Amino acid sequence: MRSRLLISPAALMLVFCYFVTAPSGASVNSLGSQTHLASESPSSEWIAFLASRKTVPLGTMLFEEGGNQGIGQSLVGFFGRMGDSPWSTGLHESRYAYDFIESIHVWTLCLFFGLAVMFDLRLLGWAMRDVPVAELARRLLPWTIAGFVIMAISGSLLFYAIPLRSFQSIFFRIKMIMLLLAGLNVLIFHSGVYKQVETWSLDAKPPRAARVAGAFSLVLWIGIVLSGRMIAYNWFDCDRQPQPAIINFLTNCVPNGSGN
Amino acid sequence: MSLLALFHWFEQTAIGNTIRQSHWLFPVIEAVHLLGLGFVGGEVLLVDLGLLGLGMERKSMAQLSRDVEPWLIGSLALMFATGIPLFLSESIKCYYSFAFWIKMGALFSVILFTFTVQRRVTRMTSARPWLFRFTALVSLILWSAVGWGGRWIGFS
Repeated sequence: MRSRLLISPAALMLVFCYFVTAPSGASVNSLGSQTHLASESPSSEWIAFLASRKTVPLGTMLFEEGGNQGIGQSLVGFFGRMGDSPWSTGLHESRYAYDFIESIHVWTLCLFFGLAVMFDLRLLGWAMRDVPVAELARRLLPWTIAGFVIMAISGSLLFYAIPLRSFQSIFFRIKMIMLLLAGLNVLIFHSGVYKQVETWSLDAKPPRAARVAGAFSLVLWIGIVLSGRMIAYNWFDCDRQPQPAIINFLTNCVPNGSGN
Repeated sequence: MSLLALFHWFEQTAIGNTIRQSHWLFPVIEAVHLLGLGFVGGEVLLVDLGLLGLGMERKSMAQLSRDVEPWLIGSLALMFATGIPLFLSESIKCYYSFAFWIKMGALFSVILFTFTVQRRVTRMTSARPWLFRFTALVSLILWSAVGWGGRWIGFS
């Protein structure tokens, strides 16, 4: 019952995102939808808000993969075509949808990152030392899971709106690697020391394995937030050359070639 | 001195100038500010969800809020330490930003509320449930206004 309650906000948001990006008969001129100029009347703002031209459903491009020149380069082509798809362009150029989804992504930091940090601080024995770890986990985990679902959905949409640039962003790649490591950390924690949580739940200072998991989680999530914020900046973008060779190598960037 | 003149003076401070002239200072300070948002959000939600009966047990709320308070103060200090330089680097923009004034008003109110009313309510051993819920709702709404204002300063 409780879990169903928690999934409903995520589902509601998905539905909302669908309507925000859904196909619409009216078409706005693309320049008008890209620029954030004040419009003449409030009603035309709403039309611009709702009327992005989207006709191809999400994921259609997934099955049109061709070419096979190494995984990085073939993905560059793939994400390039994804970015050219009408849904992706529409989301990118929409007047409010992109900013709206981005705001959701940022605010969910409080729910997911904030509560995860509080749990990590307890694992480290730095905060809430007299609250049982098991109780904290039982009470907070549903919220962090809901937060993660919202994060994943909104984050995927943000990636989908600007796929190629994100894929080739060094910060995005750092973030994804840290995300994988954080996931691995969760897996190790839950299949290891957390299985006997009842034996150390009341300890002010949890066992070493739990403290290590907490420390890894804290450092990785802080890194993920910082590198995530940096994706917005284009210092190391492929279309800004010259870049150090190592940057171009790490981002599958081929200056003046196919990979921009 | 008028308020606008004061904001012009803020904009011309050494800190403001340094940040404006650097390519990376603003992004880095802003990223740390964002980190602070996550910290504050976690601490606020922990207490408010508990008061709403959706998080931690209410009987442990008094102790929990006492435990969380130093972390909340620390996170707020981080927010001020990063937020003030960001403000100094674009105070004129802030002066003309509606969202900035909403944020400042909500921030002032919520800090006052948290450390007076909410502190007292969370430490009550027995009180009517509606009082807990009302306190949590006021806190959540005011913090949301702070967050909304902060995000919107960037869009304007």
